[in-house]
Amino acid sequence: MPMLRVKRRTIIAFLLPMLAMMAVINLWPILYTLYLSTTNYSEFTSDNYHFIGLENYRQLLFSFDSDFFPVLWQTLLYVVVCVSCFLVVGMLTALALNNPRVKGLSLWRVVLLLPWAAPSGITALIWKFLFQYDFGPFNQIGRLIFGPQFGIPWLLNPTLAFISVVIVNVWLSYPFFTVVILGALQGIPGELREAARIDGAGPWQYFRHVTLPLVTPALVPATILSAITTFQMFNTVFLITQGGPVVSALKPGATEFVMIYMYNRILGATVANPHYGFIAAFAITLFVILAALTYLGSGLGTRSPQTSRFREAQA
Amino acid sequence: MSQHLPSAALEQKPAAFSTPAREQAKRLQARRAAAGLSARLGLVGIYAFLVVMAVFALFPLYYVVQASFAGAQNLYTTDLHLFPAHFTFANYVTAFTQEPLLNWIGNTLLVCGLTALCGLVCSTSGAYALARFRFAGRELTLRALLTLQAFPGLLALTAYYLLLNALHLLNNLLGLVLIYSAGAIVFCCWNTKSYLDGLPIELEQAALLDGATPFQAFWHIVLPLATPALAVAALFTFMTGWNEFALANLVLNANANGSNLTFILGLYSLQSDFRTPWGIFAASSVIVSIPLMLIFFFAQRYFRSGLAQGGLAN
Repeated sequence: MPMLRVKRRTIIAFLLPMLAMMAVINLWPILYTLYLSTTNYSEFTSDNYHFIGLENYRQLLFSFDSDFFPVLWQTLLYVVVCVSCFLVVGMLTALALNNPRVKGLSLWRVVLLLPWAAPSGITALIWKFLFQYDFGPFNQIGRLIFGPQFGIPWLLNPTLAFISVVIVNVWLSYPFFTVVILGALQGIPGELREAARIDGAGPWQYFRHVTLPLVTPALVPATILSAITTFQMFNTVFLITQGGPVVSALKPGATEFVMIYMYNRILGATVANPHYGFIAAFAITLFVILAALTYLGSGLGTRSPQTSRFREAQA
Repeated sequence: MSQHLPSAALEQKPAAFSTPAREQAKRLQARRAAAGLSARLGLVGIYAFLVVMAVFALFPLYYVVQASFAGAQNLYTTDLHLFPAHFTFANYVTAFTQEPLLNWIGNTLLVCGLTALCGLVCSTSGAYALARFRFAGRELTLRALLTLQAFPGLLALTAYYLLLNALHLLNNLLGLVLIYSAGAIVFCCWNTKSYLDGLPIELEQAALLDGATPFQAFWHIVLPLATPALAVAALFTFMTGWNEFALANLVLNANANGSNLTFILGLYSLQSDFRTPWGIFAASSVIVSIPLMLIFFFAQRYFRSGLAQGGLAN
């Protein structure tokens, strides 16, 4: 590739703003977190903390009362449940919106994609009210139908709170999958449908053997991306449950996913002595897990020779 | 396949009906009718599904809009209103006059606008250097940027706090601007760089030969050509700080009337306060959401074209 010949000074001048910014705001906090994770720095020891090696990591990973694995487990469960729902709801809506026999397609499309445009922070606060036990409209509608005793403790029961934040996340995220899948569906040439019909393929067979393989290449990166985003999810869940409901003081709350757990251990109202060193070890461990997942995921995206052959055939 | 062949033969030669052929035609007709019925049932199913999904998608939005028009006496009562029982604009008036709503919107726009500006300056100049200048460590810089990006900023909460404390930027909107723009730089740099890779270099070479400085070539030739990529970068950085709660909550401490907050912190404090009637929260949400949704729809269009040309769409 041809390039411009310029003085070294010029190169530095062009790069400096970006590199300085990255070094101070991105790199330094990471290195400092790494350093903190090897100290016993906490609110009470902030004047004289010292190096303690890998003690924080030992406590995090090998101590019996560590919250790490329960929190990681419920986060992974959340990711799997949410992403499966995204895929199913996104696929069904995309198939419906791709059906030429449906009237008013553009109107349906705007309506079904509306949750994407709404500011997610505000809608999280709205959903919190919808789930409210006494005044929330869900329970009020229930009371109209089932009588005044009716009431579902949406955000008060651990399992229901988990389901509630899944519902909200599905509401927020399915439009992204609808758009991705719809784009892929519209790339499928009409002759394929005709050919499959002549060969006697039913709707299910057509979906299983034609649609699905052709949509998969677009779906894999979207799925990985949203799995990673859901793993790191903070805003929506925190605004609705703050990680609760907390059943016992010794256990993390039912929706206390990794980021929320970390946040609550530092800024939570009930934490008198935040142990920054330990939290830093938690953060570094999470980063290692995330990096591993991303690496595995990107390998998955480039593989799958069958689908890439389909793509070549299309091109 | 075998089911379709005889029917095709029948349609071609309707005159040659023998008795078994006629029966077959009848059976075929019945099967066609059944297929038509199941297709119609399928269509009904699709419509039913679409209606359910539309209710799911619209209910929260509809509910908050109707609640914003409901008279104050309906709030926090146990009866349900799907239509505002006492239609009024009072909630909007109260939201504007008694809550620092305009301050929140102003603060958010200021943070997001400065973030876009700061991110744009850093990422565009960096992208230009990486796309056009030959120097040792160019590839390494590009890879290092991606690696840094993989670390979620929220994980370094303690470090951010100490850093902003040292820079005297705690409780300052500029602190947020720094963090948000640093978080968006990598994406913008990569997107802009791959856009610049697609632009011809000859114009700049000619300009340099004619005695222009590299900065002049960058400013007068490259920037006007790269407008779509710049628009994407600006919108992307603008929207990173939009809904962000965790870092904003760390950096900003509410003052007496909360007028120094961004809108998401403000709305959160409104909702957490039990004295605040739900209708006022609803009206505030609607006021804040409408400009945001308009910007989003506007941005969507740009995102698509600018991304496709930027080469990151694949």
